[in-house]
Amino acid sequence: MYTIGQYIPGDSIIHRLDPRVKIVSVIGLSIMILKGEGFTWGIISVFLIGLVPTSRLSPHHILKALRPMAFFLLLLFLLHLIFTEGKPIPPFPPWCVTITYEGLYRGALITWQFTLLLLSASILTMTTLPTDLVSGIERLLRPLKIFGIPSHDVAIMTSIALRFVPTLLEEIDRIKEAQMARGANFKCGTLLQRTKATTSLLIPLIASSLRRADELATAMEGRGYKRGPRTYMKELHISQADYVAVAVMVLITLFHILRSYISV
Amino acid sequence: MIKVEDLLYKYDMKEVPVLRDVNMEVKEGEYVAIIGSNGCGKTTLLKHFNGLLSPTNGNVWVDETNTRDPVAVREIRQKVGMVFQNPDNQIVGMSVEEDVSFGPGNLGLPSLEIRKRVEEALALVGMKEYARRAPHTLSSGEKRLVAMAGVLAMNPVYIALDEPTSYLDPSGRERVLDVIKKLNKQGITIIHVTHDMDEIVEVDQVIVMNEGQILLSEKPGEVFTKSEWLKELGLGIPKITELMRQLRRMGTDVRPNILTLNDAFLELSSLIKAKSS
Repeated sequence: MYTIGQYIPGDSIIHRLDPRVKIVSVIGLSIMILKGEGFTWGIISVFLIGLVPTSRLSPHHILKALRPMAFFLLLLFLLHLIFTEGKPIPPFPPWCVTITYEGLYRGALITWQFTLLLLSASILTMTTLPTDLVSGIERLLRPLKIFGIPSHDVAIMTSIALRFVPTLLEEIDRIKEAQMARGANFKCGTLLQRTKATTSLLIPLIASSLRRADELATAMEGRGYKRGPRTYMKELHISQADYVAVAVMVLITLFHILRSYISV
Repeated sequence: MIKVEDLLYKYDMKEVPVLRDVNMEVKEGEYVAIIGSNGCGKTTLLKHFNGLLSPTNGNVWVDETNTRDPVAVREIRQKVGMVFQNPDNQIVGMSVEEDVSFGPGNLGLPSLEIRKRVEEALALVGMKEYARRAPHTLSSGEKRLVAMAGVLAMNPVYIALDEPTSYLDPSGRERVLDVIKKLNKQGITIIHVTHDMDEIVEVDQVIVMNEGQILLSEKPGEVFTKSEWLKELGLGIPKITELMRQLRRMGTDVRPNILTLNDAFLELSSLIKAKSS
């Protein structure tokens, strides 16, 4: 099962940063990656690549995290390679497809842009426990209560969804095996037949999930759950390392702003 | 004390009541078992103890507070903890300790207090080393213990358990039953719903239910001698009791109300001694 950026346990400085700092940094970086150009990308590339050893992640982890998107990145590169106008690269194809130098340049750049996006998000999820991610999101959303966004409810919903992903996957396997024992075939047959087979999987899954939700709600009520504010065992604290991280991010942002709006 | 007075309960649209004429009391510190065939209303009755359901007619009192009282409900749910059947469908947290902290978090306790309660609850059920584990990596028995810890973290006075040994393998069952007995010894009132008669031979009271009504509420020794009647209701008796019953039918003069292996051994060995002298 491919999971993009599964949590890798560790004790690096990055692991110990407050999740809110990391989340806001990724958002900020993503905006700069999408809006920036050469210079910004250069700085961010160095920064992110530098983060990898800092967070005690190995290149192997990174490659594993990017692997599910490899096909998409390849496609992105090829599309730009082929469809960008410009000076054609000579010794090419008998097919009606021409590739250009501009295409090569743009393809590489855009693909790298997306790789950076993936990298920053992956480092976030690989160094932050899902529990802490949810805590971070909840704390960040709290001020939005005035706009009617119930941060505590969002946190509980996200938490429960994440908690049940592996359980639901197990359930799918179980239902699949049960149906296969009754003669369903998920591998062979026409597209129509296989779609019908998938129905035999989906309907029990939906039914059991609805029942599961009902039982879970009852259990939660039994433990005193009510919508709205509650306390948590783990309170988030900003430490010195967090201030340093914020300073670095501000620095990068300043470089980006200066470069975008002042030069050329 | 939990007091149930003339309880009648109907699901909204249905004609036939699920529970009727239910009158019972559970005193603090008691260990009460509720038995009955499937569909007799055991689970529905249990849900009245912590206000998850309100009676259509009649009343349920927890320490003199009526469960209908919407203000008192949170307090009642802190006092009466409930452990449900399905091991998965009561675990909310992404890790064991996060799930156990759910109850105290709902009570609004400060973070240090929550941590203290989580540690104590996990220690009580013997799951301290599992604190950081994810729920899907646990066995059914371990999940059941986590659910129990989650309830214990709220410092309940009463704990109701709906078939706590279902879905479990023998070692899981033993572990869970040991914890339940330990909790009762520490003074927690236990209400134990089950199908397995061997689990409840040492309880204070056995309540027999059928089709929404309570038919009998007696000590286990009294209840399990009525084997024919229990059979008609679709229920069994403890295996040792059945063994002794068969021996009686074959002519051996053993007491009819033997429930444990130990009692059977003592009874038989005294018989053998008497015969040989």
